[in-house]
Amino acid sequence: MLETVVQAVINGLLIGGIYALVSIGVTLIFGVVKIVNFAQGEFVMLGMYITFFLFTYFGIDPLLSLFVSMPVLFVAGALIQHFLIRRVLGPNDMPQIFLTFALSLLLLNLSLLLFTANYRTVHTFYSDEAIHIGGIYIPVAKLIAFVVAMALSGALWVLLHTTDLGKAMRAAAQNRDVATLMGINPNRVFAVAFGAALALAGAAGSLLMPFYSAYPFVGQVFVLMAFVAVVLGTLGNVVGALVASLMMGVAESLGIQFVGADSGLIVVFAMLLLTLAFKPTGLGGGRMR
Amino acid sequence: MAETNKWTWLALAVLVAALLMLPQVVKNAFALDIFIRILLFSFIGVAWNLMGGYAKQLSLGHAAYFGLGAYTSTIMQIDFNISPWIGMIAGGVVAMLASLPIGWLCFRLRGPYFTIATIATAQALMLIFLKFRDLAWGAEGTTIPNLGSSPLMMQFETKASYYYVVLGLLAIGLAITYRIEKSWMGYYLVAIGEDEDAAEAIGVNAPRIKRDIYMISAFLTALAGTFYVQYIYFIDPATAFNFNISIEAALVSIVGGIGTLWGPVIGTVLLETTSALLQSWLGSTTGGIQLTVYALILMAIILWRPTGLMGMVNEVLQRRAQQRKPTQARTVL
Repeated sequence: MLETVVQAVINGLLIGGIYALVSIGVTLIFGVVKIVNFAQGEFVMLGMYITFFLFTYFGIDPLLSLFVSMPVLFVAGALIQHFLIRRVLGPNDMPQIFLTFALSLLLLNLSLLLFTANYRTVHTFYSDEAIHIGGIYIPVAKLIAFVVAMALSGALWVLLHTTDLGKAMRAAAQNRDVATLMGINPNRVFAVAFGAALALAGAAGSLLMPFYSAYPFVGQVFVLMAFVAVVLGTLGNVVGALVASLMMGVAESLGIQFVGADSGLIVVFAMLLLTLAFKPTGLGGGRMR
Repeated sequence: MAETNKWTWLALAVLVAALLMLPQVVKNAFALDIFIRILLFSFIGVAWNLMGGYAKQLSLGHAAYFGLGAYTSTIMQIDFNISPWIGMIAGGVVAMLASLPIGWLCFRLRGPYFTIATIATAQALMLIFLKFRDLAWGAEGTTIPNLGSSPLMMQFETKASYYYVVLGLLAIGLAITYRIEKSWMGYYLVAIGEDEDAAEAIGVNAPRIKRDIYMISAFLTALAGTFYVQYIYFIDPATAFNFNISIEAALVSIVGGIGTLWGPVIGTVLLETTSALLQSWLGSTTGGIQLTVYALILMAIILWRPTGLMGMVNEVLQRRAQQRKPTQARTVL
């Protein structure tokens, strides 16, 4: 019994690391640019397809393809921010919500057209490997994904808190007008933030590929988790999103273990609804948008 | 303004006459099906627009009420042999009641996070209907018994009859919107949509108004759900709570003109016609093409014409009105 619980918690933490990469991206964009990127999941999907094609046609290992998927998505993010998002920033919610939503619809359905609905998998030499400790079973691919995800999240935190660029981002997040007066170019900061968030989504895609199938709708799974984690961890709070993502991974995994294979999402939704009912500002505290 | 009013009424009378005559002229089942879809999605759009358009509470979870309406009437029909006409009203009431707790939760968030919360509630409802088989048939769903021609059970032999039913629904939806638009509630809704805090500061009871409009919007959406499953004779959670219904409800309103009486109708005509043309050109085998085109249209509207097609129509009308009265000074507000 105890072993089952420990196993479920470990499974949850490992997948929670991937959720964290996606939700940190969502919360970073929300914190800095003040919009919700409904298309974040689709960029995870694109990261997965990049990794899949690099592996299939060039034999590049999914972990090495991080060095392709992250820069490609960073550039894509900066361009999307510059040419699309920048035009709808302002007090009106409608265009912001539905622009990123349209982007999500577009990417999803274009992938359906170009890549078809088939499930694509990548089989690496470590895909089936696992570490056994006592009765506990830890898949190597998921462990690598978790470790890299935590390293990237840590790198982002260091970037935000120690570099001038990161401080500029946090300043722009706190008060865009004052930051502009201090000589920070908000458009540049926004482009970097959006690019960084998409690079994290791309990393999530590459890390997932050794143990998860790519298909056009795959992003929806992750973006829903990310949205819940971002609400739970307080909007715009990077550490909150990380902790909440890990919690949600564990909750989902325990739900699957003890309620039934299809109840993972129900547990997650229940968490969202309970958060909204009792602590709508999230666990990180602070002001709600 | 009396003159414009006269012309408006005349145009409306011609439109109504043409819509009533249409099934007498168009006998092709495929074409009638497209018209029924246009009327149905216009109606769903009108229901969404009451809350999403006027009050700018941008829900992407209206499939919840569509599904509740569909399931309520179907359960009443199959388990208790109650006519879907009664089931339809009952479904509306169920949806209205469901909107109270859902609204209580979701209205705690504003802007994009309200939108996300509504998506989550609709998905949660779908999961509940998938998981709890005792409630209703689980994932397999069920077919609705075909009784042949039975108007009292909302079953008809001809597509034309379905056409008239959904035309009636749309007329009701538009009439309610018109009444609300002209009432105090309409002004309150627009005020909330413009700036909720400012509206509250001048004494608008925003939580109550939002709750009320959500109930009306949910009620109407549920009617569409009942009609739809009666029309296709089949129900399962994936059909009844389909996310695409939530998307389309918002999409037709935004493309047509958010917060306008006719916006959802015009938007649906454009989008459904596009989709029908695409289908006849490319065949239905090419998955994804319809929504790809919808997404491009949506992006174009948001980037270049955020007031939608109605906004474009109004601009043209205003320009013509100004040309007709060159002596009148142009007032700028």
